[in-house]
This record gives sequence, structure tokens and C-alpha cells, in this order.
Amino acid sequence: MNGTWTLTKLALQRERFIVPLWLLLLVALTAGQVKRYATGIPDIAAFAREMAANQALTAFAGEIPSATLAGMAVWKNADAIYTILGLIMILTVVRHSRGEEESGRAELVGAGVVGRLAPLTAALAVTCGSAVLAGLLTAAAMTATGADVAGSLAFGAAITAAGLVFAGMGALAAQLTQSARTAIGVAALGLGLGYVLRFVADGGGLAALKWLSPQGWSHLVRPYGDDNVAVLLISLAFTAATLAPAYRLLVRRDLGHGLIPERPGPTASDRLRSPMSLAWRLQRGLLGGWIAGYAIAGLVLGALATSIEEVAQQGAAVEEFFHRYTASPEATMTDAYLWLIALSLGYVSALYPLLALLRLRNEEISGRAELLLSTPVSRARWVAGHLLFALAGSVLILTAAGLTMGLVAGAPGKVLAGALVQVPATWVLAGAGVLAFGLLPRAAAAISWAAFLFVNLFGEVLGPILGIDYWIARYAVPYPNLPMVVSGEPFTATAILIMTGVTAVLVAAGLAAVRRRALS
Amino acid sequence: MELAIEAEGLVKSFGRAQALDGLDLTVRAGEVHGFLGPNGSGKSTTIKILLGLLRADGGRAMLLDGDPWREAAGLHRRLAYVPGDVNLWPGLTGGEVIDLLGRLRGGLDRARRADLLERFELDPRKKAKTYSKGNRQKVALVAAFASDAELLILDEPTSGLDPLMEALFQQCVAEEKARGRTMLLSSHILSEVEALCDRVTIIRRGRTVEAGPLSQLRGLARSQVTAELASPPEGLARMPDLHAVRIEGNRIALEVDRTRLDAALAELIRVGVRDLTCTPPSLEDLFLRHYESEKAER
Repeated sequence: MNGTWTLTKLALQRERFIVPLWLLLLVALTAGQVKRYATGIPDIAAFAREMAANQALTAFAGEIPSATLAGMAVWKNADAIYTILGLIMILTVVRHSRGEEESGRAELVGAGVVGRLAPLTAALAVTCGSAVLAGLLTAAAMTATGADVAGSLAFGAAITAAGLVFAGMGALAAQLTQSARTAIGVAALGLGLGYVLRFVADGGGLAALKWLSPQGWSHLVRPYGDDNVAVLLISLAFTAATLAPAYRLLVRRDLGHGLIPERPGPTASDRLRSPMSLAWRLQRGLLGGWIAGYAIAGLVLGALATSIEEVAQQGAAVEEFFHRYTASPEATMTDAYLWLIALSLGYVSALYPLLALLRLRNEEISGRAELLLSTPVSRARWVAGHLLFALAGSVLILTAAGLTMGLVAGAPGKVLAGALVQVPATWVLAGAGVLAFGLLPRAAAAISWAAFLFVNLFGEVLGPILGIDYWIARYAVPYPNLPMVVSGEPFTATAILIMTGVTAVLVAAGLAAVRRRALS
Repeated sequence: MELAIEAEGLVKSFGRAQALDGLDLTVRAGEVHGFLGPNGSGKSTTIKILLGLLRADGGRAMLLDGDPWREAAGLHRRLAYVPGDVNLWPGLTGGEVIDLLGRLRGGLDRARRADLLERFELDPRKKAKTYSKGNRQKVALVAAFASDAELLILDEPTSGLDPLMEALFQQCVAEEKARGRTMLLSSHILSEVEALCDRVTIIRRGRTVEAGPLSQLRGLARSQVTAELASPPEGLARMPDLHAVRIEGNRIALEVDRTRLDAALAELIRVGVRDLTCTPPSLEDLFLRHYESEKAER
């Protein structure tokens, strides 16, 4: 364990900007929600009854823990917090363990007076420490809004527990595979499975499934209601059950190796003959993962549409829901739900082209672009290969989700059209990614993530916190401008043509900038 | 085409750091040209400008009669490049990378590829992420040598190779030279440059300080002479052309300009010579002379 403290300080120094940023975001999420409900909703108990009657919303957010301001704020955000925190935990612990090994830096560290267990212990100390901090800060912020102290602490504990489980999962995955990227994939699979199990448990009325999902354990605490903190013993036991084998593997295995060995590959290649085919090799894993993920999401979400009951009474919240997500008085609750899902799939799909385009920056930093561009490949052709995947890939993943969801929900044509209509809005983000890579390559990753978060948070999350009207989002974010073809609006091409035009301009400007700038 | 590379007064700065400050570099077609300089002197920056990856702030650069920035892709048809720090696609095997680079450069000599793989003892089935630094370098070298590019730009290509592989590298360069290829070889290993290069350019802090054939550059430096004489030398220490004279009994060691060697030997013979060694100046001496003057300036 020699050197653990030194390595912990090193990891903290490397995380000094990132951890405070996401802590602030996660803590502000629920506390801000309390404020919003306090000013916007006169009768919280009536609102809770209205929400509880909606099967789809129950599937997304889980059961309502208590019909109070704080309870409703937890209901609205807790599920997202558990899953986002889980993802952050996985990324952080893998970055500081397997990521360090893969880069060769762990070798340098391991040659010093550093125990074999020290690097993983330091990674876990930072990761789990920040999960504890996330819980404590949330509890403090909730108490500050006037919420019950016991309930706030229970919510904080549920957040910390979700963080610990996925930190453990990440640590174990990091011991299994040789590459950090695969480790993240393996652990994220666990995260996704936990999400789906909890979703189906609440959406399909199979409450027992919740006991199999890490996110479900935190849901079962029901803060401000039962405050059943004892459930979290399962989370702690599960964390211990992942860490024990992780440490046992760590002690036994060789530095830099995993359980799954590398197989030898082909001696020669006939297929790699152009920058395009190289881009295919580099991009196919990411694209395949997104297509599979979107197809599964479509299946689950489509299945839910069939169980939606039409709400008879027209409460204020339902009215607002219809106002946002339908365009005709004849549209049904199911139509509104399907459009909401298509729109959500659109919002999230914006991340795919940005990630695909950031591979370009990765190629540049690593020096592989230098090697490639020393051959007769022009910069435009190099970028075009990856851009093709960013643009066509967006179409493919939305098609995958549209097809599965439409088939399961029993409205294949309409739902597929609803998914495909999202494409131009997602392309605008791809255009922004190309421009960032061309003009400000060093900030490209930060700009891409900021653009994605802005688009996703502005209308639904930041707007309410800052007191901006939902419909202002139309001017800042492409998605609310799309024709609601699923819920009663006839197809019009105007918005689509404008967005495609904007994309073309952004891409052209980005390409021009790439051709002009120095390559590092 | 007489000159493969012609750069005049290249200037490049990154923010406040001046990387190149009026650098000149001339490489004739068909020659092996050594490109020498201490760390951070601007060798890699120059090469990146010649490859069209960076644009010079000032000066003129010509590569194979073209403009390296504007005609980058077209000119790259005729050259192959081995970076100093070779980083490969982790998921591709060495064989796949060699084939990819070869195809992009417009073809690869299959027989030569197989021959080089065998001589460099490189397993092409391994994924690039499992290769050591030396093996990654071998991948880039095999791809470059098996291409039919007329110009090879090699940026410290042997920094990760063991002595056996380095000897093999020297052999390959000699073969390529015999086939009429031009090579720009940036290096730290002076014996390698001495063994391989027709002409060298020595740079320091972004400027060219010496350029020319090795024999001519040697003329600028002094030969080392040690001798055992018939009797203790007297008066020799005061001779104007002799430098760093050390006398120990009958033995004498001194340095002398190559142009004044005649006169110095005549003096020694006058006293009577029992034993004599005369070492021509090495590239190392040249290099160190500039390197030390840089230290003195700091």
C-alpha cells in the first residue's frame, strides 16, 4: 500500500476541475427542482396524484417516494442522478487504473516505492470519496431548501451507494480487460442492465426486478417517504463483492495484462486501402454499440407505449405535457408519449456524431494523423472519412430505434418517421463538432461536451432553474423546432431544410479551417 | 530535378517560443543527407513544415519541386516518412499498418515487404498496442523501405532499435541509396551519420550552423596527433599552429588544423619520431564544438 497517499494526491490534482464541475451540476439538479416546484405548482399533492397515474412517467422516473415538494423533486431527478453518477464513477476509476496502465505511466509509477495495491486503492479513494461528497452535498443542499433532514440524509445515502456500486464495477472491469475502452464498455453494460431492470420493474409492474438493479436499490430507499436506508446494505455488500475479486486479480496478474488475452491478428490486409476503410475500422465499434443500444432502447420504450392508459381528467401538468408534445387536439396520450420518446432519442443521439468526430482529435494528438497525412491523403479526405460515419451513423442509430420501437408499439411508419425527423437536428451538432475541431482543436472536446449538455439541459433543466420559459429553447436548440409528425403535426420541410443548410455551412467552415491550420 | 529539398530562411514560432529562426537546408537528389542538432533545435519542426503539417511563418521551402504546404497530398505520393515517435492504431496488426501505409503511398513491393519483415524479425500478426517502441519503429521502417517512394524522410529512426537492428538499418539505407533514393536522416547517433551520409546540416536553436560534405566539414576541425619522440621536444609548445599541447617526457599530444598538418609533422620528424597516431576529426568533435559554444552562450 506504499505510495497510496501520493498517488491519491496526484489523482486529485488531475481531477481538480472535473469533479467540482459534475458535483455542482448533480447537486444543483434536485435542489433547483424543489425551487421550481415551489414556485410553479400550487397543489403538490394533486400534482403527485396526476403523475402517479401516468405509467410512462413511472417507468422513466420510478415510483413517487412521497407526495411532498422534496419527494417530487427526488422523483423527477433521482433516477438520472444514480445513472449519471454511475457512469462518472466508471469513467473515473477506469481512467486512474487501467487507463494509467495502458498509457505506460503505471510502469513508471510501479518502478517507484509503490505497493502493488496502491494505484487501484488511490483510484478508488478519489472515486468513492467524490461519491460520498456528492451524497453529503446533496443532503446539505436539500436541507437548505427546507426539506426534512432525515429524508435529505437518506437521499444523500442513496446517491453515495449508487456511486459506490458502479465504482466497484468499474474497478473489477478494469482488471479483466487489457484496454481501458473495453473496460468502460463492460462496466457500462452493467450500468445499462441496471437501468433497464429498474425501468421494466416500474414500467411493467414487475416490482421484484427492482431488487436486481443497483439503481433499484437506491430507488427502494424512498427518501422523504419510508427513508428505508437499510436497503443500501445490499449496495455495500455488492460493492464489497466486486472489490474483493478486483484486488485478488490485481495481486496475481502481470502489469499491463488482463484476463482476456490478445489474439494474434492477420498478417496482411486487403481491405484497408483508403482513409475511408481505416475510418471504418476505427469507428465500427462505436457505431455498432450505439446501434445496438438504440435498438434495445426502442424495444423497451416501444413496449411501454402499449401499456399507456388514456388519462381522462385534464390536470394542469397533463395539459402542459400535451401542450409541449402534441400539435393537434386529436392527438392521444400515446401519441404524445411516442413523440416525447422520439425527441429524447434525438437529444441523446447528438452525442454520437460528437464522439465520432472527437476520434479525429485523438488521431491528431497521438501522432497517427501525422503518419497518415505523410501519405498522399489530403486533410479533407481524412476528415471526410470520419465525418461520413458521424452523419450516416446518426441516421443509422435513429433508424434502429425507430424500427424496433415502431414495430413493438404497433405504429411502424409513424414512429420511424418521428425518429428520422430528428436526424437534421443531430447533424447540426455534428457540424458544430467539425467547426470546433477546425477552429479550436485544443478545446474541441470541451466544446463538444458543452454543446451536448447545453442542448440537453437548456430547455428541460436549466430553463426552469434559471426561470427561462420552455419555448425560448426553440431559438437556442434545434430539436423543439422539428415538426411533431408523431403527434398530429403534418410534415413540413422548412425546419429540416434550414438545419441541413446550417450543418452544411458549419461543416464547410470547419473543413476550411482544418485545411488552413497547423497540425499538432 | 537537382535538389530534392530546398529550404531558405525558414522561420516558425509557437506563441513566444521561436522554433525556427532562419533555417537553411539543401538536400540534393540521390544523396543521404544527415540532419543534426541537439534536442529542441528545430529538426522535427523543419520536417513537419516539409511535410505540410505546419506552415512556415517566413522563408521559402521547396520539396521535390513543389510547395510542401499547397501541394501536400500530391507530393506525398513520392515520399515516405518515418516519425521519431511512432504511434500506431492500437487495434490494427503490424502487417495491416504496413499494407495500409503502402497502399496509401501507391503500392508496395510484396517481395521486399516479406524480406524486410524477416530481416527485421518483426511479427506482423501482433496488434500494434502490444509492440514495443522499437517494434513500432520497425513497422514504420518496413512500410517506408518497401514503398517505391523516391524520397525518404527519417526522423531519428533508430532511437528504439538495438545495435543489431541498427546495423541492419544502416545496411538498408545503403541498399536504398544504391537504388537511387534520396534520404533525409535526422539523427543523434553521430557514428550512424558518419557511416551513411554524403552531406550533413548541423542546426542549433533554429538556425543552420554548418552545412556541407562531411570531408569539407572535417576540414574545419582539427586532427589529434600523439607521438613518442626520440628526445624531449623543446620549442614545439611555442609553435603558433599547434593547440592544446601536452608534453610528458618524450611523449607529446597536440591538436592541429588539418591545413597545417604538414608543418606540424615536419617539426616532429626534426626531433625524431618513434611512434605516431593521427586521428581525423570526428563528427562528434564538430558537433560538440557547436554544442559547447551554445552552453557557453547561455
